Amino acid sequence: MLAARLVRLVATLLAVSFLTFFLVNTLPGDPINALIPPDAQQDQEFVAQLREDYGLNDPFLVRYGSWLGDAINGDLGRSVITDQLVTDEIKHRIPVTAELAVVSIGLALLLAIPLGVTAGYRQGTKIDQSISALAQFLLSIPSFIVGLILIYFLSIRLRWLPATGWTRLTESVTGNIKTVIMPAVSLALTEIAVYTRIVRSDMINTLKETYVLSAKSKGLKDRFILFRHALRPSSLTLTTIVGLNIAGLIGGTVVIEQLFALPGLGKRLLDAIFQRDFIMVQGVTVFMACVYVVINTCVDLFYMIIDPRIRRKS
Amino acid sequence: MSYLLGKRGVGFKLLAVLLAATAVASACGSDSSSDDAAPAATTAAPAEETATTEAPETTEAPATTATPTTTTEAPPVGPSQGGSASLAIEAEATGLRPWEDTCSSPCYNMMNAVYDKLTEQYADGSYGPMLAKSWESNDDYTVFTVQLQEGVSFTDGTALTAQHIVDMFAVQQTGAASAGVIASSNLIGVEATGDLEVTYTLSATNGPFMAVLSRAPMGMVFNAALVPAGDDDAMAAAANAPTGIGTGPFMVTNRDVDNKTEMERNPNYWMSDNFGTQLPYLDSVSFHPIPDEGTRLDSLSSGTVTAMQTLRQATIRDARTVAEDGSLWMFEFQGNNAGGGMFNVLVPPYDDVRVRRGLIMATRQDSIIAALGGEGISEPATQLYAEDSPWYSEEAAEAYASYDFDGAMALLEDYINDPDRSDGKAAGEKIDTVLSCPPDPTLIAAMEVTQQFWNETGLVNTELTAFDQATHINMALGMGNEFRGEHEVHCWRWGSESDPGGENSGSAPWETSPFNFSNWHDPEHYALLEEARTTDDVAARAALYGQASIMVNEQVPIYFSGGTATAIATEAGLGGFDSWILPDGEIGIGHPSAEGRWGQAYWTE
Repeated sequence: MLAARLVRLVATLLAVSFLTFFLVNTLPGDPINALIPPDAQQDQEFVAQLREDYGLNDPFLVRYGSWLGDAINGDLGRSVITDQLVTDEIKHRIPVTAELAVVSIGLALLLAIPLGVTAGYRQGTKIDQSISALAQFLLSIPSFIVGLILIYFLSIRLRWLPATGWTRLTESVTGNIKTVIMPAVSLALTEIAVYTRIVRSDMINTLKETYVLSAKSKGLKDRFILFRHALRPSSLTLTTIVGLNIAGLIGGTVVIEQLFALPGLGKRLLDAIFQRDFIMVQGVTVFMACVYVVINTCVDLFYMIIDPRIRRKS
Repeated sequence: MSYLLGKRGVGFKLLAVLLAATAVASACGSDSSSDDAAPAATTAAPAEETATTEAPETTEAPATTATPTTTTEAPPVGPSQGGSASLAIEAEATGLRPWEDTCSSPCYNMMNAVYDKLTEQYADGSYGPMLAKSWESNDDYTVFTVQLQEGVSFTDGTALTAQHIVDMFAVQQTGAASAGVIASSNLIGVEATGDLEVTYTLSATNGPFMAVLSRAPMGMVFNAALVPAGDDDAMAAAANAPTGIGTGPFMVTNRDVDNKTEMERNPNYWMSDNFGTQLPYLDSVSFHPIPDEGTRLDSLSSGTVTAMQTLRQATIRDARTVAEDGSLWMFEFQGNNAGGGMFNVLVPPYDDVRVRRGLIMATRQDSIIAALGGEGISEPATQLYAEDSPWYSEEAAEAYASYDFDGAMALLEDYINDPDRSDGKAAGEKIDTVLSCPPDPTLIAAMEVTQQFWNETGLVNTELTAFDQATHINMALGMGNEFRGEHEVHCWRWGSESDPGGENSGSAPWETSPFNFSNWHDPEHYALLEEARTTDDVAARAALYGQASIMVNEQVPIYFSGGTATAIATEAGLGGFDSWILPDGEIGIGHPSAEGRWGQAYWTE
């Protein structure tokens, strides 16, 4: 079972890397344009040599094979603009993006689970309506607007937090907390709304299950029933969405990274696209695809932990 | 029910914990602001002192170029020694290799802290000594012999010699940023003719050649031993400016790309101020790329950084408002740099001067400036040089295609009704135009206003497009179509404070090269520019540039909106951007394009 999943994972990664390589190579324009300045491109001998050096004269499949061989050995190439190793760039930036994703989703779960459980348990009451209205409100505010509001109050008015920038955990823990709070909260608010709605909806269905009614008839406390018997089976959809969100946030926080001037992976990819840095685009995209595939495989495995029925079927 | 009430309580507790964590974090962290600058005072701010360094012998100083404009009074007290500063810049530097990395204002701020140039510009725009102590040329300006300063060393202690300049040239010849400059300046050889004597040999005359050595690609001195040929790792490391690569006032101690670049003072820096105080004044300086204009100003207002730079009029307007309470100092500069655009004259209908002139005459410059947020800040521009530049021409200003709606209609109608019109359309059909700018909000606003003016004629259909900066530039280059360009009417910035003769451009390349983005080339016009390189007589050169500007304004391959105001805004107390000096004690050019000389920035006492 696990072996089959691993085979599927490897096959997916191969397909993704091939497609990425194919798409990057079919982009309009000659990669040589990004490598050397325009005046140097008039030196045909120099251009021919560069083409040979970069293997650009080889057939597509040969180039892909060569790139794949290097990639398997951990060599994703070197930026044509900055000369930095792609792997170094990823290593440098992934802690920022990953921390931002984990903290924002952690914050969102911390608030969304109790809110969703409460709303589901109190379905149709004013409490449920209030929570749903709050979720609707949070869902309608773009994260960058939240970011601007936070900057205004917490940085400019109160001067509690730096408006921009990032302090790495290795530099200062308090500095890191100060720089992660506002961007994480900006991202978390939308997620809170989504998670609350999902938990509420699943909780309503779970609470109608016979085993829940049975537990109630045995006189078990509400809190015990909700968190021991109802929450776990109500978390399957939430787990899927959280898994997708974590993977999505690895490359999808560009707006927040731009607003708060954070050195994340999404911003690097965007810059590489603008700079026509095709080796960087290729390497970062494949890395993100890997993260996506691995996280979703982990989510599949996690289903089996939280729901014994799935484990037994598998 | 009791459970639910309890849960609501937990929710509120969680919020309280979050807010408390915020408060604790803000209270515990260290603050890098520099209010605690060391008190070792010197005397008053450097004023106009007499030169102490040997003056250049053969290069006559042109009169004035742009005059820096500062809206805040100069600091009333002198510099203190110590403290730190943090500058929010509009973009991260691709790298800190002057010969390799395409650079603009943000990264020049950083490079100026790490590297010294061979020459620098005085406040009047002429060229004076920096690492080049003095120089002379032969009669036809094809050989320049430069004497280097004594006692200069790289930040790792290696003494600077003439051989370093020769070794640099080998790297510069293949440098992405410097190779083109070498070609356009006619430079063919660099030779060490003494321990501290360098001889530059040119293939053709170039009177203002020393201007080339005031700019980053060829002027910034680096230790080429750190970038041996073929060593990719060394080349990559050089992008982070390792210790020993430059002779400048600061050394990079931490480069966290897209986040911050931190520098500490070079304790053995060779320059002192006019009162004998060793430079730099600041102990440390850091640079923080913050692309969003609004949050960059917010970062300054909130004390996250102590200074910011901007090249956007709308941001200058907002910063001026914040500065009204005295919390900020504004250092503004409006020199030769101007907004505007170009026509690709290889593409019909822009190959016809009637269309080019007609479109520009149909456009009000003041409305475009207002759309750009420059009302009350930016002056209308008519040529590559501002009114206080020695190269400015009154006659050229009169020849500019200023707003004249009836005149515009006449020209456009003449073209439209011409049976042999170049765009292949039938007589009487409207002209189709495509106007493109990068997707900046103010540029888009300016495009929309332009579109309204052109469509107002009833003779033009105008389509607007916006591409990211890199695509915008690549379209103008046209690398995929033999450098003809893939653009039609294209937003662009023109003009610089550099001597127009150094690279023979005045920032708008007119030779037949890939960098001639408008593709307009007139041998008669180019001959005027070439002739201007054969002399160092400022009046004679100005007359030649004047004639050239008239020809450009008659043919309208490029057009202008208003001068580009730029600014460095600082927390009150941080200054020195207008008063930095060259080694001979004379005041430098200031801060064109919001490029500060951080080696001489200081906190006032």
